[in-house]
Amino acid sequence: MQENYLAKWLNGDLRDAELAEFKNSDEYASYKRIVDATDSMQAPEFNADRAYQALKNRRELQDNKVVKLRPFRKFLRVAAAAAVLVMGSYIYLNLSNETISTSYAENKEITLPDQSKVVLNADSEIYYSASNWDKKRNVDLKGEAFFKVAKGKRFTVATDAGNVIVLGTQFNVESRKGFFEVTCFEGLVSVSFNNKDTQLPAGSSFIAINGEIVEAAVPGTSVPSWMNNESSFKSVPLKYVLDEFERQHDIAVKTQNINLKQLFTGTFSNTDTDLALKSISVPSQIKFKFESDKVLFYGENTP
Amino acid sequence: MKSKDTGNVCDEQVFDTLFKANSKTIFNYIYYKFGNEEKAYDAVQEAFLKLWENCAKVPPAKAKSYVYTVANNLYLNVIKAEKVRLKYADKSLKTTQEDPEFLMEESEFKQKLDKALNALPENQRLTFLLHRIDGKKYAEIAEMEGISVKAIEKRMHLALKSLREKIEGI
Repeated sequence: MQENYLAKWLNGDLRDAELAEFKNSDEYASYKRIVDATDSMQAPEFNADRAYQALKNRRELQDNKVVKLRPFRKFLRVAAAAAVLVMGSYIYLNLSNETISTSYAENKEITLPDQSKVVLNADSEIYYSASNWDKKRNVDLKGEAFFKVAKGKRFTVATDAGNVIVLGTQFNVESRKGFFEVTCFEGLVSVSFNNKDTQLPAGSSFIAINGEIVEAAVPGTSVPSWMNNESSFKSVPLKYVLDEFERQHDIAVKTQNINLKQLFTGTFSNTDTDLALKSISVPSQIKFKFESDKVLFYGENTP
Repeated sequence: MKSKDTGNVCDEQVFDTLFKANSKTIFNYIYYKFGNEEKAYDAVQEAFLKLWENCAKVPPAKAKSYVYTVANNLYLNVIKAEKVRLKYADKSLKTTQEDPEFLMEESEFKQKLDKALNALPENQRLTFLLHRIDGKKYAEIAEMEGISVKAIEKRMHLALKSLREKIEGI
């Protein structure tokens, strides 16, 4: 029998002599039965007309896109080239220097080149050089951020008020006008303030208000409260509390007949404005009311 | 330079003809391979959509093998073959013998055949079924698969041989 004789047989290509020989063989009957059975099989239904209609619909969708673009092709090419140039120079000039900022009522999480994490609180900004990162881990901070620093070389957070230097740890830095606070949650950080270094072990805070170092309370949490959508204060002048409220809720605050130096201890929600207003006003024994898009805090004795 | 004689695939009529002539076979081709109707239907759509997109570049003579190649490449190693389920036409039941024993034996045989078909390698199964059910010539199947007629014959031979071995338990 020749090679692939079954295939030849199925195709009617066997020569007479071979066909006769094959028909005489023992297997012939069972081959014949298999082939007869498969020949009576049917593939699943396929509706070609419906498939064609579906295809036409999809084709039209695509055609529309293509037709629209065609007249602009040349223009697009030029525009693309120009865009590449602009982007290229932009990247060359700027990308290695990253600036990331948040507006009022916004938080952002940033991963630095060495996988260190920064979570920016509202109305804050960081700036760092990505290309120089391997040589110098330096972040400029305005506002407030929580840092989770990967182990490695010295990591510096530079603020207007002072610098915070660590090797690898978790800490929170807040540098607002007149208010500077560093809280260490893990490891050890070194705070340099007014040319004086302070070592801050885990679970402690450093606070300076208007250039004066203040006794700081011990934080009871493992992350700053704002990361849990709350703002917590311990003996902090009301002025800074109201500033923080402004940042978190994006509502302008006006005050009238209130002692802003009064110390506030408590927590307010960063998500629920009404609740936050009560949390601030009740313990401070002040009142508040909405004035168009502002909130006015006023003393009890005011008319 | 483009010849007008054979037409252009971008021409609605040429495209229409190509679709009517090949869509069912592509559908079956993918179905025999993977046993999944939905995937087979999608393959038809994708293949012809691609052809339409590139209609200006594909000469009509190459259009057929183009759609097969696209359909074939679509699921390259991506999906696992499922069970191929084929219906038996009524004609096989039109038998004068109504002996229950015969009928039972017949249905048992069909079950074994189904099982044996599903146990075949994908290539052998689709080659065998395209030839037997769709009546495709070896040369046509060879073109779809992009291999020689001889290789197709080999597949056919092996397919039928192993079907028998599986059914008879040799």
